[in-house]
Amino acid sequence: MMRMSHGPAGSWDSDGPELLPRGHRVGDWIVDEPIGAGGWATVYAAHPADPEGQDGPPVALKVMPTAGLAPRQARNVAESARREVELGRTARHPRLVRLLGSLVLTAPDRPSLDGAIVLVMERARCTLRELLRSPVDEAEGARLITGICEGLAHLHRSGWVHTDLKPENILIGEDGEVRLSDFGFAIELSGTHGFSAPMGTFDYLPPERWNEPLGEQGVRVRPTADIWALGIVVHEVFASGAPPFPGATPTARGAAVREYAEGRLPLRLDPAVPEFWRAFAADCLAPTHAARAAHTAERLLDRIAARTTAPSRRRLRRAVRRSAFVALGLGAAAGGLLWSYAGPGGVGEDAVRIRVFNAERGCQDRTDRAPECSLGLAVDPMRPYTAENVVPTRVWHGDLLDADCRLPGGQPIVDEEDRGSSVWLRVRLPRAGTPATAWLPEVRTRDRPALPRCAGPAYPARPGLTGMDPGEPDAR
Amino acid sequence: MRGIVVHLPEGGDGGAVTLRLGPGERVRFGRGSSAHPVDLRIADEAVSRLAGEIRATDDHWQLSNLSATHGYLVENPEGAGEYLRIPPRRLGAPIPFEFSRVVLPSRRDTPVSFQVFAPDHVYLDPHAVGGSWESRTLTAYSLDETATYFLVLVALCEPWLRDRSPVAVPTTPQVVDRLRGHPACARLTARAVSAHIDYLADEKLRIGPPAPDATGRTDRRNGKREAVVGLALKFGIVREEHLTLLPPRGEPADPDTRG
Repeated sequence: MMRMSHGPAGSWDSDGPELLPRGHRVGDWIVDEPIGAGGWATVYAAHPADPEGQDGPPVALKVMPTAGLAPRQARNVAESARREVELGRTARHPRLVRLLGSLVLTAPDRPSLDGAIVLVMERARCTLRELLRSPVDEAEGARLITGICEGLAHLHRSGWVHTDLKPENILIGEDGEVRLSDFGFAIELSGTHGFSAPMGTFDYLPPERWNEPLGEQGVRVRPTADIWALGIVVHEVFASGAPPFPGATPTARGAAVREYAEGRLPLRLDPAVPEFWRAFAADCLAPTHAARAAHTAERLLDRIAARTTAPSRRRLRRAVRRSAFVALGLGAAAGGLLWSYAGPGGVGEDAVRIRVFNAERGCQDRTDRAPECSLGLAVDPMRPYTAENVVPTRVWHGDLLDADCRLPGGQPIVDEEDRGSSVWLRVRLPRAGTPATAWLPEVRTRDRPALPRCAGPAYPARPGLTGMDPGEPDAR
Repeated sequence: MRGIVVHLPEGGDGGAVTLRLGPGERVRFGRGSSAHPVDLRIADEAVSRLAGEIRATDDHWQLSNLSATHGYLVENPEGAGEYLRIPPRRLGAPIPFEFSRVVLPSRRDTPVSFQVFAPDHVYLDPHAVGGSWESRTLTAYSLDETATYFLVLVALCEPWLRDRSPVAVPTTPQVVDRLRGHPACARLTARAVSAHIDYLADEKLRIGPPAPDATGRTDRRNGKREAVVGLALKFGIVREEHLTLLPPRGEPADPDTRG
């Protein structure tokens, strides 16, 4: 929906929507200039109004006017905004554009804008479309596609389908990394599919979309629709923005997509697309939902990671995250091979048994307690998770531990599947010793036991740490 | 893009034929013979054995006139006399109408004709601003707001748009009555209104099959009518502003005096 073209102001239609002038205050921000417009919204660059915050990060304001709309349209706009807010709240991820807040515009002197819904978002450097105006080499292309896959994998895992993935909606952040954006049409899945309003961008619609009947709730949409769009984007990344299907117009290309799906037209990808990515795009562009279903964003990510023998970016990132878990205490792992549980009587009155979960797939089926699959426990959940802050005892996937309380607001930990949490569980160490307890990040178990919040006296676990009040969840 | 629909009405010595063509597909039409097999057989002595070819292209279709002597006409039945003349031997003439009647010369009193529907025509979203349409998110079910089917749709939705808390979707006679004052609908028949509703449901909105518990033909058609209204309102296909397309409301018709 959004076009973030940074065209000259003169390109704005004179009969277009009324624009906010430079310097207009919106909530805590001052409008700089319009940077894009879509069907329902205009996007502005803005900076913090607070003089103290002058150096604060610039933001993008997505202004969605509701004035002058018929009640049903206004409802659609509000619904679109609600989805963006809901997704921004529940599915945060480094590869999704960050929603910083939302507000309703008060502008009595501008009736067409009064009451507009404003979404405050992290400001991006440019769109992928703009980036593709100059050629992208294979390494850079791989980096971009990996980022897009990570964002998609997270969205799909969180139960959402983007439904409008295209280079105009893939932003490049100030750090050069991918940020998926524009979730106004994103839909939440119920089971294997969800329903969306019959909308989309021609060049990115999967062939089955033309056959899907329109039901009471809209058209059926499944995550494979995003995978199809991903296939188109992959081709565009390596083919200087050229779409894979022939035709001079989106309508002609839409017709070519149908011909391809009906077996009357072969898939001819640009030879400029490197071999690995050509096969990758071809799988994303499998002609039916069923054929595409095997290629989930998650598996595509694994495929990228396995592409070369050299460690890929993703593996490196995992390795960095895991360094604290893996590199430490290998000696201890070799020594104490078996976890000896407290006996039946050993579980205290208020302790709850939880099962350790290792998000690394390759470790879930292993029973050999390999050191590289071991997970660590922290001495102090409020301190950075470094070598000095880990107890010698290691744990493995499937181990059972006794937890007696939970502590919100500790060091945030992100696991290999990008689940993040700053909640820690205090677990009892099996052998009496010092310390008698240690801390397991909540992301290391799928159990969510009802546990009391850790009380002050028992914390910190190690003598000598002062100055931290466990009663304050956000003390960090 | 789903392609086009070719419909040859019942007549001569053959029954009605309906063919659906996906993008890139073609059919040949004519009198046919073993040497010149055709997909659409038109039994009229004045029509060549291989008279022409229709090809679905992008969102429209192309007509090739394979006759060396006869020109064909393509009429837009909703276009107030709008038509195209396709001269002999013309190949691949693009046809821009959503509804077309292809008229072939005949020695009979009534010319031979068949219909072609191109429901894939694309329309820009209302209220669209700035930028190229090519990369824009579009409503994938665009309707021609100047077409008769759209008037029928607005008439069906009118009670809801006027917040009358209606209990039922207007009936076909009610729609005919409501549109009678419109210059394009003076001769609109109940049968045409039903055909427009079918076209909306089957080709434009692609409404799914009726619920399995639907019984009887009448119920199914009513269900379809309600589904059309529900979707048109839900997705903003018909909005309050479209009420101005309808003719001004006259005196409520007396059901007894209606023909």
